[in-house]
Amino acid sequence: MPNLKDLKTRINSVSSTQKITSAMKMVAAAKLRRAQEAAESGRPYAARMRSVIASLAAKADKNSASPLLVGRENVKTHLLVMMSADKGLCGGFNGSIARLARQEISRLESEGKKVQVYVVGRKAADSLGSELADKTFARIEGVQGGVIDYANAADIADKIISGFEDGSFDSVSMVYNQFVNAISQKVTHTSLIPAEVDASDADSGEAGSFYDYEPEEAEILGALLPRNLSTQIFSALLESSAAELAARMTAMDNATRNAGDMIDRLTLVYNRTRQANITKELIEIISGAEAL
Amino acid sequence: MAETTQLELVTPARVMVSKAAEMVVIPGTEGLFGVLPRHSALLASLQRGVVEVYEAGKVIDRIMIDGGLADVTPEGVTILAERAVDLSVTSSQELKERAQNAGEAEAEFLNLAAEAL
Repeated sequence: MPNLKDLKTRINSVSSTQKITSAMKMVAAAKLRRAQEAAESGRPYAARMRSVIASLAAKADKNSASPLLVGRENVKTHLLVMMSADKGLCGGFNGSIARLARQEISRLESEGKKVQVYVVGRKAADSLGSELADKTFARIEGVQGGVIDYANAADIADKIISGFEDGSFDSVSMVYNQFVNAISQKVTHTSLIPAEVDASDADSGEAGSFYDYEPEEAEILGALLPRNLSTQIFSALLESSAAELAARMTAMDNATRNAGDMIDRLTLVYNRTRQANITKELIEIISGAEAL
Repeated sequence: MAETTQLELVTPARVMVSKAAEMVVIPGTEGLFGVLPRHSALLASLQRGVVEVYEAGKVIDRIMIDGGLADVTPEGVTILAERAVDLSVTSSQELKERAQNAGEAEAEFLNLAAEAL
């Protein structure tokens, strides 16, 4: 039979945990609203960029087009941009990124390619640990959480482009969590180089063919592709931050509820024990009285 | 009321301007060009410069952009710019203060914007 003092201590400690998790939930909820707004107001730019790229790419000559668009023929090394959170306590958020990254790495390696990883955010890299030891191309932390600056995305993109140009790798893809709604995130894997062009994004064919270009299409496309890369990374950062906060909110909500259940159970045990103690004492008194 | 063209100026973070204008003057890489309503479809890359929005024959808004892209259709014009500052609502002092806290490229742009005021 557990003693009363121990039970009381446990109840107290669980309820202070509950206070913490419920505070974290509130904080995540408040930040989520702002992050969600940021993610949503970032979408028009990304969408326009995609449609312009798609309509230019549809016209571009596949043979002479920039390798940023069509990729290199012989892929020896692949760069995986792995975007996770800097902080934990957000349910399966980082775990699912790490899992997908590990799958991708082993798939690419089984195809005989080398893999480099660009680590954005700490947590998924922590859980992969030594698997990344000789694979880390670059690492960046602390760009998420607060207000996300486009300059950070541009830095990441610049680094990727210069690495691509000096031949450190021949193709690039990215794994991140896409924000769907407050209770669900989608782990997404997209290709950055070669650029993923969705034909449905292109301006409808007829309108597109009457376009004038200033300067030439190829020149515009060449200037636009690096920007497209930073735009995609920026919107992934926005999505991932919103998704992280949403995941944390849900996880902390569950934790608060579990703590509540636990307190109820412990309180029940506590009351039963207390009653059992009283009964025992009464029996002792009565049997003592009878013995006289 | 004269015919208007719909101007949208979009930065990565948000839609910055969305309004009807009589004419928009845009700094293309091959020179300034004006966009009037029913302009033919044009896709132009832009250089650093000032976008001027005309209403009733006068400039009502000046927005400094750091290069980008303009997508012109007969109905309107969409400008995609990585950085933009609305010169009609900010003071040069404010821009210089922002420049001090910003990164190198951003600071250069903001200082130029302060001069363009």
